[in-house]
Amino acid sequence: MNHLHDSMEPRVMDDDMLKLAVGEQGPREEAGQLAKQEGILFKDVLSLRLDFQNILRIDNLWQFENLRKLQLDNNIIERIEGLENLIHLVWLDLSFNNIEAIEGLDTLVNLEDLSLFNNRISKIDSLDALVKLQVLSLGNNQISNMMNIIYLRQFKCLRTLSLSGNPMAEAEDYKMFICAYLPDLVYLDFRRIDDHMKELAKMKHQYSIDELKHREDLLQVQLEDKQARREELEAHKSAFIEHLNGSFLFDSMCAEDVEGSKLSHLPGVSELLEAYKDKFVIICLNIFEYGLKQQEKRKTELDTLNECIHEAIQENQEQGKQKIAKFEEKHLLNLSAIREESELPNIEKKIRECSEDITELSNTLMMLEMQLVEQLEETINMFERNIIDLVGLLIENVQSLMAQCRDLENHYHEKLLEISINTLEKIAKGELEEDLPDDVRALFVDKDTIVNAVGASHDIHLLKIDNREDELVTRINSWCTHLVDKIHNDEIMRNRKRVKEISQYIDHIQSELDNLECGDIID
Amino acid sequence: MEVLKEKVEEEEAAEREEAAERAERGDRTEKVMRPPEVRREETILTQEMLRDLEKKLSEIEIPISEELPIFTNDTIDISKLPLSYKTNTLKEEHLLQVADNFSRHYSHLCPDRVPLFLHPLNECEVPKFVSTTIRPTLMPYPDLYNWDSCAQFVSDFLTMVPLPDPLKPPRYLYSSTTVLKYQKGNCFDYSTLLCSMLIGSGYDAYCVIGYGSQDLCHMDLTREVCPLTLKPKESVKKEEKAPPKKYAIKPPRDLTSRFEQEQEIKRQEKIKAEEEKRLREEEERLLEAEKAKPDALLGLRVHCWVLVLSGKREVPESFFIDPLTARSYSTQDDHFLGIESLWNHKNYWVNMQDCWNCCKDLIFDLGDPVRWEYMLLGTDKPHLSLTEEDDTEMNNDDDVENLDKEDEDKSFDMPPSWVEQIEISPEAFETRCPNGKKVIQYKKAKLEKWAPYLNSNGLVSCLTTYEDFECTKILEIKEWYQNREDMLELRHINKSTGLNIDYFKPGHPQALRVHSYKSMQPEMDRVMEFYETARVDGLLKREETPKTMTEYYQGRSDFLSYRHVTFGPRVKNLPLNSAESNPRPMEKITERFSRNLTKPADEDVAERVFLIAEERIQLRYHCRDDHITANKREFLRRTEVDSKGNKIIMTPDMCISFEVEPMEHTKKLLYQYEAMMHLKREEKLSRHQAWESELEVLEILKLREEEEEAHTLTISIYDTKRNKKSKEYREAMERVMHEEHLRQVETQLDYLAPFLAQLPPGEKLTRWQAVRIKDECLSDFKQRLIDKANLIQARFEKETQELQKKQQWYQENQVTLTPEDEDLYLSYCSQAMFRIRILEQRLSRHKELAPLKYLALEEKLYKDPRLVEFLKVFV
Repeated sequence: MNHLHDSMEPRVMDDDMLKLAVGEQGPREEAGQLAKQEGILFKDVLSLRLDFQNILRIDNLWQFENLRKLQLDNNIIERIEGLENLIHLVWLDLSFNNIEAIEGLDTLVNLEDLSLFNNRISKIDSLDALVKLQVLSLGNNQISNMMNIIYLRQFKCLRTLSLSGNPMAEAEDYKMFICAYLPDLVYLDFRRIDDHMKELAKMKHQYSIDELKHREDLLQVQLEDKQARREELEAHKSAFIEHLNGSFLFDSMCAEDVEGSKLSHLPGVSELLEAYKDKFVIICLNIFEYGLKQQEKRKTELDTLNECIHEAIQENQEQGKQKIAKFEEKHLLNLSAIREESELPNIEKKIRECSEDITELSNTLMMLEMQLVEQLEETINMFERNIIDLVGLLIENVQSLMAQCRDLENHYHEKLLEISINTLEKIAKGELEEDLPDDVRALFVDKDTIVNAVGASHDIHLLKIDNREDELVTRINSWCTHLVDKIHNDEIMRNRKRVKEISQYIDHIQSELDNLECGDIID
Repeated sequence: MEVLKEKVEEEEAAEREEAAERAERGDRTEKVMRPPEVRREETILTQEMLRDLEKKLSEIEIPISEELPIFTNDTIDISKLPLSYKTNTLKEEHLLQVADNFSRHYSHLCPDRVPLFLHPLNECEVPKFVSTTIRPTLMPYPDLYNWDSCAQFVSDFLTMVPLPDPLKPPRYLYSSTTVLKYQKGNCFDYSTLLCSMLIGSGYDAYCVIGYGSQDLCHMDLTREVCPLTLKPKESVKKEEKAPPKKYAIKPPRDLTSRFEQEQEIKRQEKIKAEEEKRLREEEERLLEAEKAKPDALLGLRVHCWVLVLSGKREVPESFFIDPLTARSYSTQDDHFLGIESLWNHKNYWVNMQDCWNCCKDLIFDLGDPVRWEYMLLGTDKPHLSLTEEDDTEMNNDDDVENLDKEDEDKSFDMPPSWVEQIEISPEAFETRCPNGKKVIQYKKAKLEKWAPYLNSNGLVSCLTTYEDFECTKILEIKEWYQNREDMLELRHINKSTGLNIDYFKPGHPQALRVHSYKSMQPEMDRVMEFYETARVDGLLKREETPKTMTEYYQGRSDFLSYRHVTFGPRVKNLPLNSAESNPRPMEKITERFSRNLTKPADEDVAERVFLIAEERIQLRYHCRDDHITANKREFLRRTEVDSKGNKIIMTPDMCISFEVEPMEHTKKLLYQYEAMMHLKREEKLSRHQAWESELEVLEILKLREEEEEAHTLTISIYDTKRNKKSKEYREAMERVMHEEHLRQVETQLDYLAPFLAQLPPGEKLTRWQAVRIKDECLSDFKQRLIDKANLIQARFEKETQELQKKQQWYQENQVTLTPEDEDLYLSYCSQAMFRIRILEQRLSRHKELAPLKYLALEEKLYKDPRLVEFLKVFV
């Protein structure tokens, strides 16, 4: 292979090269002969070595889907690319190349051992996806900033690290720093870190590490908090009552209501609004709680169904298995009897008996399956009725609660109108004591304007309420249809699979018998 | 009580005399009053009938049982008993008077009943009230805390002595301490001891005197089924059927004819009924045969047992304990034919209920004065409905007297027990049975018991079950062992099938748990079970027949759960063959594996069969959760040569496979080839393991034989008495300590040190020097002794002089002295005289001891290691 190394002509990773490598590294001796005879598929290869090949560009590796170990060391690779499909990769060696930046590793989530020794890397990053990373070799690179180490703190499994030969390794604090910031590390630059060293390092960098830890903890808490809130919202969404456990709907109603906010400056309106809001929120909360309760009910309903279906299928399978086991016992005896039999008419008779048995088995199995299908269909239909009833009930109740909201809104609207007209009259008479902002005062020009303004506010409010109701209703309906469809589909799929399985098995047995027949006749 | 009231006055006068006659009481009680049912049978006898009877009676020969252990006064050493055994305190005397009074009232009112058993004589011929003979004691052994173990202990510990007269209560009732000491007693002694122990541990227990069946009184268990032979009734667990769920599927419609089913059921039932009838008849016949001859003395045999009332110690229902056999009976049992009276340590109750129907109708509400006549008032029993009866039944005339008597009684409570504290030594507790051995005969069974360590092979009990009532044909033998080094716990020998089953406790070197076999020869039918957690290979069970070996495993990392090996006939032509060098050829190995969850089900082998003779390997895979068929694969291991003479490595027909969901890579020859190579290796391994199993069986059998021969017993390190090693060690330690102490005392005083110090250091002694040192030392010591004597002498003289002076002074001034001065003088005189006397004594003792001390020192110096070699010559 030396001649390859001498000539500096870069080589392309083509099919021939890969085939050669696979062939060379494949099985030996007898197995090798077989392999040659059959050819090896790239997707069956688990390990591939492509060192000293003068490769410039990684290419054509997409077929090696199941590759576990890949060696590409001692080439002239400049970029990490073309590895996206090798998601099972555990071991990757890219040492002695010309790589300048770490990239293209985002899909290799199973990677445990990564070697980038002797390259031109100056910064450690883009490794976030490699959560299982245990060994990282970055020696003989251009990394100079000590802060790169902090990036490595996120890899909880990292035990071995090599960084010698980098500019940063010349700093006198190098070892201490790494030991302090990566306390779980066991080997650094191919040497075991002793406990004493760890202790020293920890003491030395105590303060900065504590601070860092504190920051990390805070971040962690925040993340968890966010996660929890997201999950809660998710749960509410699945019950179709998100944002109803507060004044969110009311606030959104007011937010888009320009006229209303103007009118709230009128005397007495703010109190009215306050009272309105309280009542509104209470109804929202009612809806929320009712929704949660209903969701619980739907869930138990669904769980019971799943459990029952599962039990039924299990029982049916047990029966099927028993039947098959019984049949196989008998069948084996029959087969051996046929083999030992010498008289041709007897053989034929026995074979006939055998095939009768097979047909019978097939019939029994199919009958069992059809029986199950009927039973399940009945059950599923019952469930469908129940769930539709439940959903209908929910919609009905929510609608009635929403109607209460609308009543409140109407009431508020009337009051507001009354106040507005009173105010208008007062303004007309010039009896108004309070000062009103100019834009509010502009509304009180004549009766139409003010009535329009109040009406517009009312309309917006009603629209919001309607929208929320519609959303809830459509979503729950679509959920319901989806669920029922899915259950039906699953059942159909299951049925098809089982029928296929049975017919396949019967075919196999039949062909076995036929083969025996042929063999006997030839004998 | 009130019924008795009427005759009180007349009786009162006679009371004094009664007290004097009390010693003769025992004789008087012999005039037995028969229970009502017997009395009724009495008829007037004519002379002829009497003669006839005489003749008949003379014909009857009483078989004298060979040397019944008779327990009489003569055998008891009363000299060491404490005073309370030999005399009565005032209170006890008073109690006896009360008892006599009670007894008189009773016999007056119920003349047709037998006299009460109130104050029998104790071992010192002193009458003692029965309640004071009960000494409630809580035993220090946790084993004796519950009634069943307590009763078992009493029954094991004592040897039964029959009553001198089976129809009368005994004249003597000994203290429990004496009974325990001699380890024998009659049913009264048994009951008293058991009652003491039960009351001590908190039960509401009573001694009962009454009438029992013959079996009960003679401690005859031959008609009882041995409790150890009874199989524990398997509690049929009713599987709680969960209520059908909402969406449970409906069962398919049943299309069979219901009429036919019914007919079938009817037919079955008929057959069943006939069968049952036949069985019942058979059983009845057997029962008839078993039944004992009717007892002529039924209902007359006096017996004493223990009653435990419900309420205390969470006893849910009252029951009887027969102290002789330690069995518990319900209060309705047929063995108990009547109750006269009962007592505990506080009071005495007489049964006023009719016993015509044995004890079945008795109500044990001791607070009810109509049913139970009490002797002392003021016990803790609730007097139910007392006030009512006061109103209805009491006459005004009797009222005053009644009150009087009650007052008297109330002021009187039971004196403390005269019996010493009951003590059982740990040795006696462990030995249990007298001489550590006991045999009990049951119906068709015999139970023998031994104390631990009594038998050298650790046998502690042995149950022999017989086929017939005469106990001649042995059916099976069960032997229980304890403290065996090989952890053998129980051996079950079935004589009819010849099957032996040994049960082991955890800790056998080969983790053996159960070993059942017919012979100890290898390659025979046998089953060995193991403690699988103690074994590295997780072997649970190994079954062997002459041709097969089946092993069951659990918890293995390779998920092997079953291996079945079929052996072929041994090849005979090999010379030098022995069992080890010529194993039987294996024909077939079947291995089953449990599911390995890390692999997908259709790649996880469930069963593999190596057909070694046919060179075939069959694989069956696990079934996937949603499938009913499983993958199968069959390899033909034949190596063939093709037409060109090349070896065929692999051809498609060498592997026949069925796949539920066909996969691409398994079709490849390479895959199949590798699978086959792997299986070949596995086959070799399995064969090796099977061979090793065979070897292990041989090894275990050898080990078992050795253990059986040696049958060593283990001794706990805490057992300081039996553990010889620790005993020796401890004694050695004590000896060493003692010697050390002596040496220390000796080395404390070195007489020679001051003389040796005069010599130049580091130089060896010469003989002359040694002799000189010795002499110097001795003379020095002599001088010291003389000095000491002189010193004492000087003090003595000084003291005498002073006294004389004082006396002189007193003589002179006697007239002028004040009384105070005179007192002073007298006290001085007495003190001085005392001092002088002491000094005198000391001097005389010194004179006596000095020569002895001198000689002792001389002796010691001769033996001193530093001088001994120089002085030897002179001795």
